Amino acid sequence: MNIENDDNFISIDDISFLQLSDSFFPTGLYTNSNGLELLFYNKNKDKKLTYNDIFDFIRAYLSQQVGPTDCSVIGNVYNCIQKNNYSTLLELDNMYYFMRLIEETRSASIRSGIQLLKCISSFTDNNEYVNFYLKNIKDGSAKGVYPVSFALSCNAMNIKKERSGLMLLYGFTISVVGAALRLGIIQHYDGQRIIHEMKPVILSNVINNVNRSYSSMWQFIPQLDIIQIHHEQMDSKMFIT
Amino acid sequence: MNRWIPKCLLLNFFIYFSVSLSRIPRIGIGGPVGSGKTMLIEQMVPILKHEGYDIGIISNDVVSKEDAERMRKNLATEKGLMPEDLVIGIATGGCPHTAVREDPSINISVVEEMEIKHPNLDLIIIESGGDNITTTFSPALADYFIYIIDVSGGDKYPRKRGLGIETCDLLVINKIDIASFIGADLGVMERDAKIIRRDKPFVFVNSKTGQGVREATDYVIKDVLFNAPPKSKIKI
Repeated sequence: MNIENDDNFISIDDISFLQLSDSFFPTGLYTNSNGLELLFYNKNKDKKLTYNDIFDFIRAYLSQQVGPTDCSVIGNVYNCIQKNNYSTLLELDNMYYFMRLIEETRSASIRSGIQLLKCISSFTDNNEYVNFYLKNIKDGSAKGVYPVSFALSCNAMNIKKERSGLMLLYGFTISVVGAALRLGIIQHYDGQRIIHEMKPVILSNVINNVNRSYSSMWQFIPQLDIIQIHHEQMDSKMFIT
Repeated sequence: MNRWIPKCLLLNFFIYFSVSLSRIPRIGIGGPVGSGKTMLIEQMVPILKHEGYDIGIISNDVVSKEDAERMRKNLATEKGLMPEDLVIGIATGGCPHTAVREDPSINISVVEEMEIKHPNLDLIIIESGGDNITTTFSPALADYFIYIIDVSGGDKYPRKRGLGIETCDLLVINKIDIASFIGADLGVMERDAKIIRRDKPFVFVNSKTGQGVREATDYVIKDVLFNAPPKSKIKI
């Protein structure tokens, strides 16, 4: 159903875009701080984390990992759908899984990915790509990583490739901002300001990466990888990653 | 052909396949921090194990893995009542209510992994902290909800209601041994619980000594497991 009024054009797909972008959508992402929790406890000893630290933290992730890897996966999944290329879809799943260096981030990605797909398949029409991926997860031929599940879910809800990329990077941003709020690092106005100021970073990373070929996907964020490794070892923690 | 097969064998065959093909029954145990959730589980599991039931435990800790590690040490390592990998701790990002109600994705994912790895379990217990006002378990996550409070909050606690106290399948009132020391009247708690809960059950327990835990466990065996024999005892 579409409603057209002069220059304005809105459709059900726009509401789907909102539905999947909403943090209310059940994927369990609120359980991840992406290592911010460790930084908070370590930094708290001598100097408190600031607004700028949170901004830099998110920007580093978007530019060095989520953009060139996760967003590229999104674009490549859409290309696979366009070309009916099922085998590359499974290759993407496998490659992304092994690009996650920390065990906890791998399992968190899979858990969220599988639950997202199951939720989508419970209310969308029989989507052949969602069904294909779920079947391969069940058979053990695919892992069910989050970006592949996310792209397939967006496609099942008629959301375009570039918009899916925006949603993924936006979702990552708000999950870290949410963690920072719950840790008491920033306040609620600061959180919205970070999201607002992050918009150009999100946009440029989607433009630069959504058409990247899967053979040129990359990530380089060693300091944050090490932080995640240490976070994994923490005895007492509030977040999974 | 059926006359050659003993009736009991057919019944066992039916129970085994109907049970193993369906999901493993799950109970959610929720309650405020310090109310005795972990200790209640530590008292219930040996009783269930004595009856032959195999149990898995998932513990949603707010800020640590302490409860899961304590249960793993006590129930698995020291008492040998279950393998160590059947006690799993989950971090909830500071949102325990969300993790068992609005968005139980991560808990469901861990439950499903446990079901695949250990299909012969009879019961999965999911523990989560949560206040009396908002705590409930999503029916997609737990088939039965036990809410536990303790008398140290005062004898007004049941009367103050809340989703946990009102909607749970079984209300457990713990630490009855200290009621007299803090001036909590168990008679008042019983009266109010009857009014608030209507026909739904509640039990008084002392998880430290085990008093009342057998009664609570019997509710689980009757209302969740339907008095079915443990899977390990069903011969086909």
